[in-house]
Amino acid sequence: MNIKAPKRAESYIPTASMADIAFLLIVFFMVTMTITVDRTEVQLPTSLRRTEVPKGAAVIAIAVDGMIHFSNGEEDSRVINVQDILPSAAFIMSKDSLKYFLIKADGNVEYRYIDQVMEQLRQASVRNIAMLTMQEAG
Amino acid sequence: MSAWTDKKKKENPEIPTSSMADIAFLLIVFFMVTSVFSVTRGLEFQLPRQETTQDQTPEEAVHILIAPSGTLCTFTVDQQMMALEDINIYLQPKLQRNPNKFVIIDPEPDAPYRCMVDVFDELKQGDVKNISIPTMAEKSAWGDIM
Repeated sequence: MNIKAPKRAESYIPTASMADIAFLLIVFFMVTMTITVDRTEVQLPTSLRRTEVPKGAAVIAIAVDGMIHFSNGEEDSRVINVQDILPSAAFIMSKDSLKYFLIKADGNVEYRYIDQVMEQLRQASVRNIAMLTMQEAG
Repeated sequence: MSAWTDKKKKENPEIPTSSMADIAFLLIVFFMVTSVFSVTRGLEFQLPRQETTQDQTPEEAVHILIAPSGTLCTFTVDQQMMALEDINIYLQPKLQRNPNKFVIIDPEPDAPYRCMVDVFDELKQGDVKNISIPTMAEKSAWGDIM
């Protein structure tokens, strides 16, 4: 009797779905990624209470040496003099009176710099302000 | 000659997809490298409208002075120096009597910003509704009440 040996299944790793998985990951990254308009490196202060601030808010970043970066929320931030915040903020407020302004300041910066920025915002009739913080270990 | 052409196997048409995964993973790596984790949470507050600005009288408001002390800060609440955690204990009876009690945060110019945030956070935890952070220009306009 001539018994044929069973055909051995060829071993291979199925890679057809690899691209699908990878594209799924890409879509996930694209959806969750927020476009950052300001990349000033600061060590944010910490707080227990934190609320989500609306997207597209204007950003005022204050580095530990007092250097100020300003972004209207759409364009990349640029270095600005403290006196120039008033016209920039007033221009933004003329288009959207409920615009949020984020203060992204280093925790160790002297309060005088924050005070100057606040005064400019107050004069520009800004209402909604948020101070960015990191979560405090509670 | 014709026999030779007949023998030739017809190739199946196909779109080469073997490199698709490589391209996709390359894109993933690009997104992972370029994406930045941005902080989108913080402490919200609202500045008063210019036309509705209310003058706070010192008797009605609690005044918290923040002064730098080395790397730390000292907190003086209504002329009494106290620890950060004690501010809410001091405020709670006053807030029970008057939930709309005004609290004025008054950091010195050379105090670190994080001390102001600490006090603000503490007041938020104590559900203080009316927090006022006057700027130096406002304080000088208020005159001697501070």
